[in-house]
Amino acid sequence: MTAPSLLLYIDRSLFARKVKDSRSVEHRDAGWKLFGKVPPREGPVKDPRRIQKEYETKTGRAGHSNLTSPRQNVRKNLDFEPLSTTALILEDRPANLPAKPAEEAEKHRQQYEEMVAQAKKRELKEAQKRKKQLEERCKLEESIGSAAQTWNQEILPNWSAMCTSRRVRDLWWQGIPPSVRGKVWSLAVGNELNITHELYNICLARAKEKCRSTAANAPEAESQDSGSSNRESSLELIKLDISRTFPQLCIFQQGGPYHDVLHSILGAYTCYRPDVGYVQGMSFIAAVLILNLDTADAFIAFANLLNKPCQMAFFRVDHSLMLTYFAAFEVFFEENLPKLFAHFKKNNLTPDIYLIDWIFTLYSKSLPLDLASRVWDVFCRDGDEFLFRTALGLLRLFQDVLTGMDFIHMAQFLTRLPDLVPAEQLFQHIAAVHMTSRNRKWAQVLQTLQRDPERGSPVLKR
Amino acid sequence: MASAGKEHLYKVLVIGDLGVGKTSIIRRYVHHTYSHNYRATIGVDFALKVLRWGADDTVRLQLWDIAGQERFGNMTRVYYREATGAFIVFDMTRPSTFEAVLKWKADLDSKLMLADGRGIATVLLANKCEQGHPLPANGLKMEQFCKEHGFAGCFETSAKDNLNIDEAANFLVTQIMASEHALLRRAAATDTVTPQLDRRRRSDGCVGCLK
Repeated sequence: MTAPSLLLYIDRSLFARKVKDSRSVEHRDAGWKLFGKVPPREGPVKDPRRIQKEYETKTGRAGHSNLTSPRQNVRKNLDFEPLSTTALILEDRPANLPAKPAEEAEKHRQQYEEMVAQAKKRELKEAQKRKKQLEERCKLEESIGSAAQTWNQEILPNWSAMCTSRRVRDLWWQGIPPSVRGKVWSLAVGNELNITHELYNICLARAKEKCRSTAANAPEAESQDSGSSNRESSLELIKLDISRTFPQLCIFQQGGPYHDVLHSILGAYTCYRPDVGYVQGMSFIAAVLILNLDTADAFIAFANLLNKPCQMAFFRVDHSLMLTYFAAFEVFFEENLPKLFAHFKKNNLTPDIYLIDWIFTLYSKSLPLDLASRVWDVFCRDGDEFLFRTALGLLRLFQDVLTGMDFIHMAQFLTRLPDLVPAEQLFQHIAAVHMTSRNRKWAQVLQTLQRDPERGSPVLKR
Repeated sequence: MASAGKEHLYKVLVIGDLGVGKTSIIRRYVHHTYSHNYRATIGVDFALKVLRWGADDTVRLQLWDIAGQERFGNMTRVYYREATGAFIVFDMTRPSTFEAVLKWKADLDSKLMLADGRGIATVLLANKCEQGHPLPANGLKMEQFCKEHGFAGCFETSAKDNLNIDEAANFLVTQIMASEHALLRRAAATDTVTPQLDRRRRSDGCVGCLK
């Protein structure tokens, strides 16, 4: 625990010294150039540390602990800190001017002391703040650590018996520790499709073969007219999209450590489900899984996740079914946030404008990755409903900002959410969303709308 | 009929195949930035560009950056509604994206039509021109192509090197205004002939491919 602060200190003092050195060199240089042979005066560039020492000997407060040890504590650090900025006023006047009156010198000394005291206070406050932050982080890490232990030792070994228990569900809501996240996701998503590692390898081999053969035929295919099937060719699109997946992480791009893994999973999927193929948005989902699971397991989770009814509807771009989901969403939107709903309606801001990105990428593109992972946690627990509940939570969180905006600014805001979405606050807002409408739950509302599409969103219906 | 201090709001679509640089062009145009790696657009993204126009008019361009995957077609067509202008973008280094241009144009024309039966003002952008061969060397007779297929004009652009993007946008705005004027005149059925008519006539085909 002390190590980082010590390190910090060492680092800083080194840096400070370096800066000082270089500055004095510069100064000397400048002196030489500007004044020909006149060497720079020693006086004005007095080392602040020397001034401090002079001052301390003058005031008889000689550095009692100044030279003691290199093991610096925080206070020591503080003694040192404000010098460079304030010691100047302690200097004697140049020789050609009358000396400072004793009174003035005393005043300056007092002022200096006050400044030092204030700076110390400030530094102390900051140090305390840092300490508190560190403590909080440690506490958080500890709680994550103990949660990981609970998941590993108690919950995972008894998964089927415990996964629906109140305690586990509560723990789940708080976020799954990253070390067990992949395992929990895998278990929660399940493997209805009974995909084995062998099957993944077969699909992958087929994808690679297809890739090779199209690469070999590429020049021909390009010069001849390439029909829509060729242009839509999933494998080509995958190549274009991989490096555009979480570019800021720099791990999926050409040459990055996960570039080939992402390519493999997406390619294998197009061979596993040629009827679905590659659809934009998939690369983000696969990438998040890769960050939490080994390749083959990531593929299994990926295929099973996409096989869920809502994901199938979206990735097969089943337009009318998507509209049904949007309509169900609007039912709960109106119920939960009637004012904002009316505002959206007035501005013709339909759910397809912002929900498509959120649902297709399961928020991994629009929310910070750690927060998106927490959304995934509960999505794995609660299913599709939670995706729409999260959307309502976001709208609820930003309700006040949104009500003051016009169409284009709302659309821009929602398709490009702020970089810092406060996690705890968002989850509080999600928790506050009521997922019942006239005593009907999400699934029931959805079912009714599916049976009777005429009752779908009036705005989106064409 | 110079209207002083008027504010114009235009919805402009930016469409074209996946990865041709639609987002890059918009980012360059609106935010004056460029990055090698923008995230793939899913659904639609938005940007707003406010232009001073003439002495004291203001033009607000609502740019709709629409995902390029063909599969999304059905879904993203809803976004075409009430657009007054469009950029169709292709990537000069990938011939297949040029072949797709006509599909995008046909799609646009089938979904959107002005009151006089004409399509909305559409400008073709040949992006990534810093990497591709210049169009004539590319074997593309762009002027002819634009005339035949109803593009108001064509520009070779580079979002990376900031080439021709402002020019293309200004050109599109003049085209949008011209068709707006034409429509207004049609609606009013007035007998005055304004200079705009000539300008519109002249720009019916391709105004030239400006590099």
